[in-house]
Amino acid sequence: MIIAERKPIQEITASLVPYKNVLMVGCNTCVAVCLAGGAKEVSVLSAVLRLALRENQPELTIAERCVERQCEAEMNAELATEIGSYDAVLSTACGVGVQTLAEQFPETVVLPALNTKFMGRPEELGVWSERCAGCGNCVLDRFGGICPVTRCSKNLLNGPCGGSANGRCEVDPVNIPCAWQLIYDRLARLGQLERLTAIEPAKDWSTSRHGGPRRVIRKDVKL
Amino acid sequence: MNKLVIIGCDRSAGEALRSLQETGYCLPEGVIYQPLPCGGSLDVLHVLRALESGAERVLVLSCYADACRSFNGNTWAEKRTAAAQALLTEAGLGQERITYRQVSPNMSADLGAWIHTLINLEPVEAQDRA
Ligand code: SF4
Ligand code: SF4
Repeated sequence: MIIAERKPIQEITASLVPYKNVLMVGCNTCVAVCLAGGAKEVSVLSAVLRLALRENQPELTIAERCVERQCEAEMNAELATEIGSYDAVLSTACGVGVQTLAEQFPETVVLPALNTKFMGRPEELGVWSERCAGCGNCVLDRFGGICPVTRCSKNLLNGPCGGSANGRCEVDPVNIPCAWQLIYDRLARLGQLERLTAIEPAKDWSTSRHGGPRRVIRKDVKL
Repeated sequence: MNKLVIIGCDRSAGEALRSLQETGYCLPEGVIYQPLPCGGSLDVLHVLRALESGAERVLVLSCYADACRSFNGNTWAEKRTAAAQALLTEAGLGQERITYRQVSPNMSADLGAWIHTLINLEPVEAQDRA
């Protein structure tokens, strides 16, 4: 899932200065799970913004809506009849949701309320961590299901580096486990340590961001 | 306008308030009590909505640690109060609008004193300007 974080309130209030009548639209999928932009967070943020702007922008009104998945135009269709009556939309979806709204409603100003961070998972209550960088050519089969691209701070495919100590990464030993220690331990558990004797060739990054914006096309489901 | 909204666990804050009322005490004008089944059911939104609806201050009350019937309701009440305070601070509004206290059912005199203190503080806007 996509993990995001609310922008600083001052940044959001600054972006709202030119507007009087704002629609805040949340997304009830990824950003609801990471407690950044679901229906609940829309209510909390809009309440804080109303309180914060009560004196300086007393005429500002903020309406609240939440769609199921803002990255799918069909799910935003319910906004079509009313979205034109607002000066701006403040979206608490990830960057994909914000751009979907902007593409779908070209006459409407759409502002982001979140900073989209990464693809990851909930690790424990209140903690989310990165798992995939979307490299476009998954190598998890060779590394015991642990991604060296994302979880090794130096993206090493033939690790570890010299900075791994006591199973921790030198970049931030407190918070980051050494991905190569994790890979070693996992392969040992699976009885596949011999995999580490093979040199992983240089990765072809053209499948990643280096090849420009990417598309996936499935002819079998495309009309 | 409500000067003060008290949001509290009904098992502790509510009991303390009822004991106080049995002595003839009436909540002062502009003070309302909003009971929660447990401090753990406090939501940041309860606090913000109270302020949005015109409360000058919010007092959040939960049980003492280890006295919560649901084990850690007091911890969640304290955390969520702190989250609401952090939001107000970030928004430049000052966290002193929100007070958190732990209370037990036999602390009716303390509760009466806290209410008295909070409703007699200067309005927050006046403090901000000072
Ligand atoms: S817009 Fe789509 S990708 Fe983004 S948070 Fe919502 S469901 Fe997830
Ligand atoms: S190898 Fe690439 S696709 Fe696979 S998990 Fe890592 S970044 Fe994601």
